[in-house]
Amino acid sequence: MISTVFAFILSVGPLFSDQDKAIKDNLRRTVTVPARVERILSLQPEITRILLALGASDRLVGIDYFISRDDHLFKILFPGGARLPVVSMPDESVNKELIARLDPDIIFTSPTELQVPDSIQRSLGIPVVALASMGSFDGLLEEIELVGAMTGLEERARELGRYFREKIRSITECTRPLALEDRPRTYLAFWSSLVRTPVFYEPVQAAGGRNVADNLLPSRLGTIGTVISVEQILKWDPDVILIQGSFLPRERQVTVEGVLEDKRLGSVKAIKQRRVHYTLGFWYWWDPAGVLVETLYLAGLFHPEKFGRLDLEKEGNAIYKKFYGKTDVFTDLIKSLDFHEWTK
Amino acid sequence: MSGQNNRRPKGLAVFILILPLFLLLISLSIGSYGISPRGLFKTVFSVVSPASHPDVPAAYRDILLRIRLPRVLLAMAVGAALSVSGASLQALFKNPLVNEYILGISSGAAFGAALSLVFLGRAFPPQVGGFVFGVVAVGAVLLISGKAESHFISLLLTGIIVTAFFSALLSLVEFFASPYVLQALFFWLMGSLSLASWKDLYISLPLIAVGLVILYLLRWRLNVLSMSDEEARSLGVNVRREKMLVIAATTLITAAATAIVGIIGWLGFIVPHLVRMMFGADNRRVVPLSAAMGASIMMIADDIIRGLSSFEIPIGIFTSLVGIPIFLVLLKKTRKVWL
Amino acid sequence: MSIRVTNLAFAFPKFSLRVKELAFESAKVTAIVGPNGAGKTTFLKCVGAVLPTAKGSLFIDGRDLAALKSRERARLVCYVPQEHDTTFNYSVSDFVLMGRAAYISAFALPSQEDTRAAAEALDFVGLTGYADRAISEISSGERRLVLIARALAQQSDILLMDEPTTFLDPKHETEVLQLVRKLAVEKMKTILVTLHSLEMAVQHSDQMVFMKRGEVVAHGKSADVFQESLLESVYDMKMKIIDWEGRKIVLR
Repeated sequence: MISTVFAFILSVGPLFSDQDKAIKDNLRRTVTVPARVERILSLQPEITRILLALGASDRLVGIDYFISRDDHLFKILFPGGARLPVVSMPDESVNKELIARLDPDIIFTSPTELQVPDSIQRSLGIPVVALASMGSFDGLLEEIELVGAMTGLEERARELGRYFREKIRSITECTRPLALEDRPRTYLAFWSSLVRTPVFYEPVQAAGGRNVADNLLPSRLGTIGTVISVEQILKWDPDVILIQGSFLPRERQVTVEGVLEDKRLGSVKAIKQRRVHYTLGFWYWWDPAGVLVETLYLAGLFHPEKFGRLDLEKEGNAIYKKFYGKTDVFTDLIKSLDFHEWTK
Repeated sequence: MSGQNNRRPKGLAVFILILPLFLLLISLSIGSYGISPRGLFKTVFSVVSPASHPDVPAAYRDILLRIRLPRVLLAMAVGAALSVSGASLQALFKNPLVNEYILGISSGAAFGAALSLVFLGRAFPPQVGGFVFGVVAVGAVLLISGKAESHFISLLLTGIIVTAFFSALLSLVEFFASPYVLQALFFWLMGSLSLASWKDLYISLPLIAVGLVILYLLRWRLNVLSMSDEEARSLGVNVRREKMLVIAATTLITAAATAIVGIIGWLGFIVPHLVRMMFGADNRRVVPLSAAMGASIMMIADDIIRGLSSFEIPIGIFTSLVGIPIFLVLLKKTRKVWL
Repeated sequence: MSIRVTNLAFAFPKFSLRVKELAFESAKVTAIVGPNGAGKTTFLKCVGAVLPTAKGSLFIDGRDLAALKSRERARLVCYVPQEHDTTFNYSVSDFVLMGRAAYISAFALPSQEDTRAAAEALDFVGLTGYADRAISEISSGERRLVLIARALAQQSDILLMDEPTTFLDPKHETEVLQLVRKLAVEKMKTILVTLHSLEMAVQHSDQMVFMKRGEVVAHGKSADVFQESLLESVYDMKMKIIDWEGRKIVLR
């Protein structure tokens, strides 16, 4: 009798030890996920891009509307993606029946959509993880590691992680020793508004700058942005203003010209010195290759004496090739976003 | 409240009428930049005669004239506009539960702004689309309810239906359009003065002023229009024409206000109630006092937002937080429900 | 101020009013009686232009009512409803002041003369002390008087009163009808009243009009026209009229 019980425990034990693990996601939810996944539904463009970089695109069973419709590079990087079913819509609604049919092992969502994860998990019982880099390199690298582990592509994940850290280190070894006064105080105008800003944006720091909003709290859980007032911008008096430029030029509500001409901001250092520029910013969180290029770009912007010699287009293409295996991808991005204007 | 309707301390009424001016001065000194009262005075003088105070930083002048002043004026104008609009429509619909959005302006304006953002992009400020469709919504209500002038209930119902229709259209736009394009709609729907600038005021202020003047002049007439249609007609009023006039004026000011600052709830509903509770139902008092009280509440709410912290909270929340407790306190004091 | 009705017609979905020829003399009180649904209120509302009527059916002192502008019409004729829904709690004086609407342009405020006219009207009905009271706080009988005061402030020569005595106690009922008589005699107003009480009608009116199913069945001097046979045919029931000390009592 006792030996039967013993045998039972022994056989059941391994069932729990390397099949599942518990993850804490960015909405402070604890989710039990399978150690290995074959079928992935990604409603988080950042995760989708990571899956492409890892070479795990064949595991995608479904994607979200943003990456399929509004992402600048998805069609180039993954032409097969056009055949993937789109499961979510801009108003945060998800097609639960379709999800049930696709039968994923795991679902990734963005932490900005508060209700979605629990709603899906409750209805369908599939583990949903709300994950994003939240503007931090470590966050991004942890994602790469996690997804690599879950897809069995740890080797590739480590390779990308190493590459990423190397590239960043090549910048930060020049910028870390900088004194505080030498770091340009930077205000980031993101999300189509002069007064919405991210409270944490690591590329600025790594490139040798300072985000003036870094002492603020995000406006709610799951997001990285907050809303300030125009007066606050004057109070901060930043040296540089960066505007989110990942919008297509005709869709930009906030523009460099507009900011330079805004009479309310006339006394701000950045306006007086005409240091108002576009930067890539978020495009539904990050593209790991894109954020590397952005950090290089910002380093050149903040400290031209140290980084001015960079051939950004060449570097950018090399980075994108490393991640996605395709050539001249960055050149395509430059064309859509009028990037040449940025570096005049 | 017998015997008090006409005798309510005139002092209180005068106080309320002057309050916005006081608040204007106070509000100009509130903001995250932190200018001392002395600095403020110097700035004001340097504006009047630039030579007198050459040491005033350019930032002070920009803050006072380009950031705070337009914002405070906008708060005053919008507060007055929404309150008077609510008061007038309550009289017209003979229903104290009515608010200024009852004829579909808010959902029409939201849809118009969204449409503008999606199809016209940056070329057109979404405010124009918002204003146009706010007016279109009301026009639709009037057209649909047609000749049924004696059935004001149908005007109400049609307003509800048109509101629902434009809300559905808005959802459709939100459903298909990229949310990144619609980000600019985000603030606007929550109600915010955070982006107020002179550009916004140049167009909206005259429109609001025109509408307010019309409704101010009509203030006694509103008493008559608040009678049943039969009574009003019997009293010799061309009910249809004068109702249209009131609706046109309220639509003008509400659409202009909503196009700039978005949807700010509760104000047009609470303020007229407060005024009636304190001063009686005579619109000769209700209209100007609603304007003054609405302007004051709006300024106080915005002062709190600007003074509390460096980040912005939607003003709609504050107008409720300021207005509702006052309402409840007064409700308790007078122990009356209807007016 | 004479009223002449010629081929007046108004149609509701299930009911139509048709009055061929009717004339009302000035400075007289005419009671309009008839069973429920006879069209009394509809008739009154038509004469008061509260309901729209065709041109050429109503003439006040020879002028076509339908051709007049609202203000002119209101200075001639005033329809006084039975009750008023007190959504907004105006003071009695503000309420009576509204009667001056026909004399005040849309964008103007009441003048001193308007205020005086309103005060006089209130005085005529004996409620001067009530000026500052809220309209919802007075009794319904007093509210009837306030409605009449408002009609007085309107200074129209023709008053159309829709059931001014319904739901009032006997004392107030008599008061109101005596006031009506006073208005005709002292102020030379032409007054039409709809009444349910036949006895009150015959006692307090000079002329009577009997209506049934949208048509005028009989009209004439009260004393002459108030006959048992007429009553029976109008109300479809046997009635007996008793004369007692000059007053008429109706037994059913």
